[in-house]
Amino acid sequence: MFKKTPIAAVAAVSLLLIAGGCAATNTGKSVAPQATAPAAAPAAAPAAPAVVAKKVDYTAMSPAELAEYLIFEAEGYDLKQPTQEGTTGRARLVQDEIQKACSLGKGKEIDDKSREKIMALAASTIKYPEGGIKLGDWKKGRELAWSGYGYRTAHNPDNHAKGTPGGNCYNCHQIATDRTGGDIGPSLTGFGKIRGMDPDTLKYAYDVIYNPHVYFACTNMPRMGASGVLSQAQIADILAYLFDPNSPVNK
Amino acid sequence: MFNKTLHVLPVVLAVVASSNAGSGQLPEEVLDGLIKKTNNSVYLTQSPQNIMMLPDNPAWLVAEAGEALFKQARGPKNASLEQCDFGKGPGVLDGAHAELPRYFADTGKVMDLETRLLHCMKTLQGFTNDDAAIKQKHGSKSDIMKLQTYIASKSSGIPWNPPMQHPLEKAMRDAGEVMFYRRSGTMDFSCATCHTQTGKRIRASVLPSVYDAADMTKAISWPSQRTSHDEVRSSQHRVLECLWQMRYPNIKNGSDASIALISFWTDAARGEPAILPDLKR
Ligand code: HEC
Ligand code: HEC
Repeated sequence: MFKKTPIAAVAAVSLLLIAGGCAATNTGKSVAPQATAPAAAPAAAPAAPAVVAKKVDYTAMSPAELAEYLIFEAEGYDLKQPTQEGTTGRARLVQDEIQKACSLGKGKEIDDKSREKIMALAASTIKYPEGGIKLGDWKKGRELAWSGYGYRTAHNPDNHAKGTPGGNCYNCHQIATDRTGGDIGPSLTGFGKIRGMDPDTLKYAYDVIYNPHVYFACTNMPRMGASGVLSQAQIADILAYLFDPNSPVNK
Repeated sequence: MFNKTLHVLPVVLAVVASSNAGSGQLPEEVLDGLIKKTNNSVYLTQSPQNIMMLPDNPAWLVAEAGEALFKQARGPKNASLEQCDFGKGPGVLDGAHAELPRYFADTGKVMDLETRLLHCMKTLQGFTNDDAAIKQKHGSKSDIMKLQTYIASKSSGIPWNPPMQHPLEKAMRDAGEVMFYRRSGTMDFSCATCHTQTGKRIRASVLPSVYDAADMTKAISWPSQRTSHDEVRSSQHRVLECLWQMRYPNIKNGSDASIALISFWTDAARGEPAILPDLKR
């Protein structure tokens, strides 16, 4: 059962990657791979076979395989940590199709075929309010746009009973001129005043907030509607903040 | 060189300087050099107040406490840490942190400063995971942060040079690179979302770009006083903070996942001098 040669260890690695979840006993305790002489196994084997399992050979994996191994098998993260949406840490780390396709390394861009696929996939996720897209309350929208609360977990989980998750828009956008925003995304200052308020423009902004990959495949902007962070009503409030002539964005 | 007039915290600096003779450069001198070299990088110059405070960095007091702890016989085995091998031989601290993470044959693992320190506290001093000396990993009052700050200060001014000779070192760095670009979580973030463009901001904070070694050397120079926390923080803690923003679950302190990320980011600062201890927002 126990693999002792380096070659067998490599085979075991791929098995673990496929089987998943059973490698927990391999981490931490083991010694240098070269140092684990076969003779060491029988002594401990009868009592606690799991502890004797060989050290996984990281150098036999591709960088991508090793990354997945470190995340999911080597207990790098608290995979059981509860999330606000009722899932676990593991679910936060598993990639969906768009995340996978958009994890592009240095200097890499998606090819045209993937781009089209992503845009179509994004379009299929967008749901519209019954009765069409209307502006909500810009004051509520302002609160949401300027809030980074929600869904943070790690060492200090947000408590959604105590605060409403926000849109994080300010982190990446300059929005109104009264407060300082980030510049990972373009400035949205004067958005409604500059773009106008025709139905196509409203739909464009709604779509971008809901799932921006429909226009910008592999954008850095999160999918605030598709991920369930913002409701349709909350998006309507943020739209009011962007478009309402009385909103500070357009002053 | 520590040949400048030590006009601030003279006592503390004298202690540090005397045991550090011949190696390193004061953090403020290193930063000054980098600012000149980059023609005022937006990231490096973002806080004139922090630049001004750097010579009076409260982290020096933490380093001083760390030096005493380092030399003191402690733990069940009543030993000091003076025989701990941080990669350049037992007891050699000068420039050691600038060459971490690295592979250690005695554990068969790639270790960063914190994991190596914990290893020595266990093997040389006999501490176990249940001892307060090891359990408490964060904050200026913790032994771990005092010791790390002292050891790291011995690499100030030394160019980052994490070895890539051993296949495991390369494997960990490369896996860290994959993790850096890997998107997931509620908001689709990867490290690359925020750290691949020079001079961009998340709200008011200027972000270091991983493609810019001169920015990266400051970004990865930990331990660093975190002025907004009023504590000295570690590399491990910085990873945690960004993962929190990213909506990721908790990462385990010293896990291979954390060390892979740290290996990658240290490699990104290769060749640029460390600023240790640093002082950040
Ligand atoms: C992580 C950063 C990030 C966050 C958070 C973010 N955005 Fe964006 N946003 C971007 C980027 C980057 C673009 C540019 C699209 C591209 O080319 O990838 C963009 C584009 C846009 C656009 C289109 C701009 C134009 O000129 O047509 C709108 C509108 C927008 N964002 C609104 C929002 C709103 C509202 C929020 C909050 C609910 C938000 N964004 C949150 C990064 C972000
Ligand atoms: C949503 C944006 C965001 C993401 C994603 C992100 N970071 Fe950060 N990171 C920041 C901000 C903001 C700072 C603080 C910068 C400042 O204060 O100037 C920071 C700081 C840092 C620093 C220290 C530099 C400093 O000045 O404090 C390092 C190193 C770092 N991040 C690494 C990472 C790594 C590794 C990841 C992926 C695990 C990551 N970051 C993901 C926003 C982000």
